[in-house]
Amino acid sequence: MQDSNPFSFTIVITGAPYSSQAPQSALNFAEAAIKAGHRVERVFLYGDGVHLASALASPPSDEPHWPREWSAFLEKHSIPGVACIASALRRGLVDEGEQKRYELSASNLLTPFVIAGLGEWVEGRMTSSRTLYFHGSD
Amino acid sequence: MSTLIVIDQPPYGGWAGREALDMAFSLAAFDQPVSLLFCGAGVNWLRKGQEPGTVRQKSVEKNLAAAPIFGVEALLADSDDCNRYGLEPGRLLDGVTLVRTDAQLFAGYSHTAFAG
Repeated sequence: MQDSNPFSFTIVITGAPYSSQAPQSALNFAEAAIKAGHRVERVFLYGDGVHLASALASPPSDEPHWPREWSAFLEKHSIPGVACIASALRRGLVDEGEQKRYELSASNLLTPFVIAGLGEWVEGRMTSSRTLYFHGSD
Repeated sequence: MSTLIVIDQPPYGGWAGREALDMAFSLAAFDQPVSLLFCGAGVNWLRKGQEPGTVRQKSVEKNLAAAPIFGVEALLADSDDCNRYGLEPGRLLDGVTLVRTDAQLFAGYSHTAFAG
């Protein structure tokens, strides 16, 4: 079903996979929004939500792999996925650039996620018609 | 387009409030109008004389003192919740405005975001 007045959404996820339902609820929403003819402009991971961008998550094979499901969704629809740099560095989520800068032993950012500042969230709020937040339980 | 960032969790027990504060500072840095509302246990952010050294955390009091410098328009606190936590006006940080958290308050902002 197509909506005659399409919205553009910025989705903010602050709850981590496997400790909250936030990434799952956000994915369900994003899929439904696109199906209804709306646009998801960007996804911003903040706080514990950055764990969704870990390339090292290895849940049991009979459980959903939320980082990979989100990664596939972002790539399929060419949606930018951004993890907040301050949240990410605190929690041990780094790309190759940050690995070099902080002389760390590894990097673990799942494609197509990128690491950037809160400015990406500010810009998303300004350009999208709606910004939605998916929080953890606390 | 003015934004209200709501902090309803106490300081020091988690990082969500600090990260919500960073969101407010970030909006202010991009010249976007933003105010902070403290309600529920979140009013404890505004208590004078915090000494979090023993829990090895930086004082949120210092962060909040910087809010006007960064361009945050107002620090709002729910007056009922301040009473509930024994925060008489003299025990609050300078520059805090007491408000009633109701629909009328939220209607004054085009965006609202809660600490995660």
